[in-house]
Formats: sequence, structure tokens, C-alpha cells
Amino acid sequence: MAVLTNGSTSPLGTLGTLSVAQVLEHSQAANEPAWLTEMRGAAWSAFQQMEAPKWRRTRLDELHLETLQLAAHPHAPELLGADKAAEQGAIFVPLRDALTTHADLIGSKMGQGVPPLANRYSALRAALWQNGTFLYVPRNVELEAPLHIRYTLPAGEQAHFPYTLVIVEANARVSLIEEHISVESATATLTGATTELFIGAGAAIRYASIQQQNRTTYHIGGQVITLDRDASGEWVSFGLGGKVQHIEAEARMQGDGSRIEWHGATFATEQQNLVIVPWLRHIGTATESHLDFKTVVADQGYSVFDGMIKIEHDSHATSTRLEEHAIHLTPNSRSDSIPGLMIDTNDVAKAGHASTSGQVDEEQIFYMQARGINPADAKRLIVMGFFETALSAIPHEITREQVAAHIEGRI
Amino acid sequence: MPNELHIKDLRVEVKGQEILKGVNLTIQPGTVHAVMGPNGSGKSTLAYAIAGHPNYVVTGGEVIYKGENILELDPAERSKLGIFLAFQYPVAVPGVTVANFLRAALNAHRAQPNVDPKETAIPMAQFRKQIKAAMQDLSMDDGFARRYLNEGFSGGEKKRLEILQMSMLQPSMAVMDETDSGLDIDALRVVSEGVNRLLNPDMGVLVITHYQRLLNYIKPQFVSVMMEGRIVRSGGPELALELEERGYDWIKEEVVGSLN
Ligand SMILES: Nc1ncnc2c1ncn2[C@@H]1O[C@H](COP(=O)(O)OP(=O)(O)O)[C@@H](O)[C@H]1O
Ligand SMILES: [Mg+2]
Repeated sequence: MAVLTNGSTSPLGTLGTLSVAQVLEHSQAANEPAWLTEMRGAAWSAFQQMEAPKWRRTRLDELHLETLQLAAHPHAPELLGADKAAEQGAIFVPLRDALTTHADLIGSKMGQGVPPLANRYSALRAALWQNGTFLYVPRNVELEAPLHIRYTLPAGEQAHFPYTLVIVEANARVSLIEEHISVESATATLTGATTELFIGAGAAIRYASIQQQNRTTYHIGGQVITLDRDASGEWVSFGLGGKVQHIEAEARMQGDGSRIEWHGATFATEQQNLVIVPWLRHIGTATESHLDFKTVVADQGYSVFDGMIKIEHDSHATSTRLEEHAIHLTPNSRSDSIPGLMIDTNDVAKAGHASTSGQVDEEQIFYMQARGINPADAKRLIVMGFFETALSAIPHEITREQVAAHIEGRI
Repeated sequence: MPNELHIKDLRVEVKGQEILKGVNLTIQPGTVHAVMGPNGSGKSTLAYAIAGHPNYVVTGGEVIYKGENILELDPAERSKLGIFLAFQYPVAVPGVTVANFLRAALNAHRAQPNVDPKETAIPMAQFRKQIKAAMQDLSMDDGFARRYLNEGFSGGEKKRLEILQMSMLQPSMAVMDETDSGLDIDALRVVSEGVNRLLNPDMGVLVITHYQRLLNYIKPQFVSVMMEGRIVRSGGPELALELEERGYDWIKEEVVGSLN
């Protein structure tokens, strides 16, 4: 009997009626380690006391958390590539399974990336996650084939909080795709996804996070990559689906010489409201980051890019650049770009940001028309080209083609 | 002649200002016609107006090709009718590869009304073969097809790409706007040879140039001089040589003189 489900034996009710005692009781009933029971209890009590964060550009007024029911039969994640990973000594299993075998390892990292008490939603996720994924790549192990996680909110369910915990040890190498989908639902549904990736010294990760949920889903996520000394990350984030998305994402350049190359794309159409809050946090010495974000909005789509470069006091010689470019396909679509820069030291090598926004360039359209291509096809080509840097950062060809086809079909 | 390009008293405005003030010009199939003129005389305006750029507003006159007043066609339709503009300033489109762009252009030309475009699309293998051969003709290496359209291209690479497109699309009426600018002498030779290979008795070419240098390689039968939005002189190839020698000022004086 999985924990925190309202199966026939122990109904849980809605989030509005769930008590701290019930949360603790369920955790204990599932034989979870004491630290986790404690973490859940603290998070749930924080959730109950905290005010909702003031996210002015995220339309959460129609999301009534207290009426939602935690998934009774949450799907275990689909994990592709686990067998091959195991052959090389890596562990790629559902998080709940890993709890019985690697509780201490999980306990040493869980919550270190995305702090459970950061805000009401992180608390909600930390308290109520039912399953997720654990990936452990031992020292010096280089995994060739990309690993793939697919989280689905099953039909008939209202809320789930998948948790992804990734530990890549020193000098190891891995590619990971995390994909979120959901099925059509008559009422609002919620996915609260937490992802923590800890990348050891000299290790490298390619990570793609792809949100492709349906138009009734609220997706409220927290993602942090922590990079140790000389570790490197290539990260690509796609915000494509959902009714409303609010993802707080952070690349944390903790170790000296660590670096991130981060691409992202948001495509908001119909009534979608897709918000991404990417942070580049520089802590170590001579760390580097580059964030290149592409946004396309159409119909009444509304996207928000709330990016931040944060250069901490004890850091040295940071080199960073953040850029965001947006294209509006229709007059009623809207995109807000709020790039920020917080520098708490005088010792910075390079820091800059740039952002642009406008319609598809008329000269580009004319150039294509002059070759016989009609304006609609020209726009489609230009927009696909605009997303190309993000698409090509997806570390798996078939996934890349699927995402490209999905976008192309919606232009 | 049905396939001549016939420009009659063409008047064009840009941003409310009249730039072409009644241009008359006829280009016969199988001929190369050069239009020369100083900077700002309206040569590119003529090229854009023929191709249908929306910022170049035709206020009078007509342009007849293959029996149609092409001013009523949108730019893509003009292209499909066989008109090709080699741009003076080719446009960069980040993220769109040369190969993808060319394939889209070819497929647009092959498309038939009421037929599923999938049926008329060029088979991948055939496309690859065709582009490879065309690139070889222009001394371009294979990697070029995978680069993004005009992005980070040198002046010479851009002009070469224009000619590559021309050779893939096989137009019957080519307008080449300052194709020689930005080319060193070797590139000029390669590009000119590429153009000369495409010439055929059914094809008309309008070569727009500031300098006569290009005309040593692509030989015109007719030369016209444009000044302040009008054709002020026409003649044979010797006119180009005279311009090379004497510059444009003497014509200007004669034109002004004749007006007084
Ligand atoms: N897009 C434009 N915007 C503003 N002015 C233009 C534009 N295109 C052409 N013109 C004006 O029209 C005149 C002719 O320009 P153009 O046709 O480019 O000449 P040429 O190609 O002979 O050098 C110039 O005075 C130029 O300033
Ligand atoms: Mg010009």
C-alpha cells in the first residue's frame, strides 16, 4: 500500500482537510525514514500557515488547492534506459523504490537544492510527493544513452507531486530528459514537480526538462542544478503545455570553475499563461553561465520570463550572460521579460543581459516569399529556426523531433 | 514576345516619397540587360518593386510578364512564375538551415493547387543530389548546406548563396542586384561562371550594378543608365565601358542640360 494515497483503506480527503497528523501517520505507515516523516510534517504545517507567494503575473486565482484531491493511484514514472544504466552501475529507479535501498543517500541531499520551506508551493510538494525518480551515477561512469523520465498525471486524478533526485558523482557523465504530460480532464488538475540535480566535481550533465501537459493542468515546479567544482551542465527547458505554468529554476554554480550552458523555450498559445523564473546563481570562483531563452506567444497566450543573475558576495571572477528574445505572432498575445541582475561583489569578470521582443521580421518573410514560400510557411520556418538552438540542445534525437513536430503543428 | 519582362512607366514610392518616376524597360528572353547608375538612383527600388516588396508601393505603371500584370501577384506567386531576385543584401534567418530553406522553396515551386503537398514534394535523395551538384558548381563545400541562412556569412558567401538558390530554382527571369559587391576577384569569377551556366535562350537577366567590372564576366547585350528614378540612357555594352571611363557626372550634366 503506497503512502499518501486515498485508496479504499485510508481515505485522505482533499488538500483542504488534510491534517499534519494524517501526513505523519501515512509516512510512518509506509515505513519511511524518520527524517522524511519529519520533513513532510514540517512542510505540511508550513503549507498550512504560509500565505500564497505574490506571483503577480501567474494566474492562480482559479486554482483552488483546498478542493484538490491527492492522486489515489499515482503512476510510477516511466523510466527509459534503466537497464543499460544499471549495467554500468548506475541506479535509475522510482524514488519510492530507492527509499527502501538508498534512504541515507537520498536523505543526505533531499531538500538541499529546492528548499522545502521556500514558499507555499515548495512546501506542498515536499510534504505530499508520492513518487518520483532517483538517479545515481557513480564516480567516473559515463552513460552514453540518454535516460528518459516521463511523468503522467493519470486520467481521473487531480494532483500529484513527482520528485526527481539526481546525484552524479565526480567525473561521471549523463544525459537526462524529464517530461511531464497529463490527460484531458474536465476539471483543473495540478502537477507540482520538484527536481534536484547534484553534479559532482568534474562531472557533466545534459538535462532537458519538457513540460507538455494539457490545457487543464496547472504546473508549478521547482528545479535546481547544483554544480560542484569544474562540473558542467547543459540544460534545456521547454515550457509548452499546461493551462498555467510557474517554474522556478536555478543553476547554482557552487564549485570553482563550474559552468552552465542553458537554453530554453516557451511557446504560449490559446489562453496559456506560462511563467519561467530562471536564476543563474554564482557562488564559486571563475564560474561561467550563459542563458539563452526564446519565447513565442500567439492567440491570447501570455508568457513571463522573470530571469535573474545573482552573483554572491564570496564569489570571484564570474562570467555570465543572460539573453531572452520574444516573438509575438498575434496582437493579443503578450510576453513580459523582466531580466534582473543582483551583484553582491566587486569581483566580476563579465556580466550582461539582453532582451528583445517583436513580431516576425518582415524582411525575413519577404526573403522567403521571394523564393516562392507563402507567408504562413515562411513564419513557420522562421519560428522553428528561432527555437532551433533550444531544440538542438535536447540530448535525444527522437525526443527532439517530437518536440519540434509538436511546436510546428501549433504555429 | 510572350516571355519578355515589360516594365511600363513604373512609379514607386518608399515611405511616401516617390523614388521611381516612370521607368520603362524591356528585357527579352535570352538576353542580359544591365542597369547601371550611381548610388541612390533607384536601382534596388526597381528590383524590389519587380519582386513585390511590400514597402515599395507602386503608384503607377505596370510590369507585364508571361502575359500577366505581375504587380497584382504576391511575391511568392511572382517567384513561381519564374521571377528571381538575387538580393543586394540577403537576409539572415537564424536557425533555418540553407538545406531546409532550399527544400521549402523547391517544394513551394513544385506544389500544385488541390494536390497534397506531400505528393509533389521533392524526394529527399533527389534533393540531396541536386544541392550537392549545385554547390560543387559554385565551389561550396558540403557543410554549407547545414549552416543557418546567411547567418554570419561573409559578403562573398551571401552572394554565392543567392546564386545557389538561383541555380536550384531555375528562374526564367533573374534580377541580380549588385551581385558583384563584396566579392573578390576569384569569387566574382566563380559566381559569374555559375550565372553564365544558367543562361539559356528562354531566360532573361536584369543585372544591376554600380561598376562595370561584373560586365566583363556576365556580358550584357543592352545597357541602361538609371538616374534619379528614371532610365536616362540606353545602349549596348560600349555604354558600360564609357561609364567606366568617364563616370556618371557627364550623363548627369547632359540630362540636366536637356531638361533646361
Ligand atoms: N527602405 C527604404 N527606406 C527609406 N528610403 C529608401 C528605402 N529604399 C530606398 N530608399 C531611398 O530611395 C532612393 C533609392 O534607393 P535605392 O533604390 O536603394 O538606390 P540604389 O540601389 O540605386 O543605390 C534612395 O534615396 C534611398 O534613400
Ligand atoms: Mg542598391
